[in-house]
Amino acid sequence: MKPMENVSSEIPPGWDYNPSTWGQRLPLVAVAVVGLGISLYLGLYQLRIIPSVWDPFFGSASSQKVLNSPLSRLLPIPDALLGAIAYGVDAITGVFGRTGRWKTLPWLVVLFGVAVGPMGTVSVLLVIAQPILENAWCTLCLISAAISIAMIGPAMDEVLASLQFLQRVKRSGQSVWKAFWGNKAIISTVR
Amino acid sequence: MLSRILNVLLGLWLIVSPAVFQFNKTIADNVHIVGPLIVTVAVVAISDSVRNFRLVNTLCGGWLLIAPWVLGYSNMTATINDLIVGSLTIGLSLIRGTVSHQFGGGWRSLFQDNPEHLRLANQQ
Repeated sequence: MKPMENVSSEIPPGWDYNPSTWGQRLPLVAVAVVGLGISLYLGLYQLRIIPSVWDPFFGSASSQKVLNSPLSRLLPIPDALLGAIAYGVDAITGVFGRTGRWKTLPWLVVLFGVAVGPMGTVSVLLVIAQPILENAWCTLCLISAAISIAMIGPAMDEVLASLQFLQRVKRSGQSVWKAFWGNKAIISTVR
Repeated sequence: MLSRILNVLLGLWLIVSPAVFQFNKTIADNVHIVGPLIVTVAVVAISDSVRNFRLVNTLCGGWLLIAPWVLGYSNMTATINDLIVGSLTIGLSLIRGTVSHQFGGGWRSLFQDNPEHLRLANQQ
């Protein structure tokens, strides 16, 4: 094994770039913040804090039909607010940690991936439900869904780097659980 | 990239096609399910690290080829539409395109005994 600077290299072995750089992460955080704004707006309508929603293509009535559907009220809080919470988690888990976090904070990277991936999936299901259950569409809901879908691919490389790191920890015979939570002793011995 | 964008456009076309041709509810529901799936898979698969996710669209395209008979379409326009979009989706999903980055063996490495990233980590 070579000296320390290689051990702490931020480009994962077998990769040609570091997936945890700010250039990789900040665009996702910015997009998540936009999604957060849209979801909050839709959620405020669902809570009747604002009286109607803007919809230039399908009309406010169509959007409101979607936003008032039984599906959107399945849970104790309206679905757009759930979306806002998910976007908030995306933004927070996207922005924390330094540029070597795929290795130093695997739990955060995995949480980020879990927040982005399943939320995108739920968005697709809600898009499918609009015409089938309500026979109506909602422009801002579709834009929000497009945002969450667009985030999935770019977020996954960092998750892969973290999982490969945990795989190397496992092969080294050390505790994957401790490495997952950022154990410095393990991180310094496994590349 | 181009294959993925064309697949996105095909998916979007599926979503709007019931409004264009006045399909019945069965046909409309089917394309309103498959259309967003094709769009989603194609958008995700634009990213190099998850490029093989495109193969889910091979399945979506395959479903479109049999859906007119499984669901009993009695509408020639809808049947032809499904067959054309299904065939194109399969063809485009099979095009891998340029993957310009390396990922230490990729997702499949997680299931391998001696993955590329582990070999390279041990060499250095």
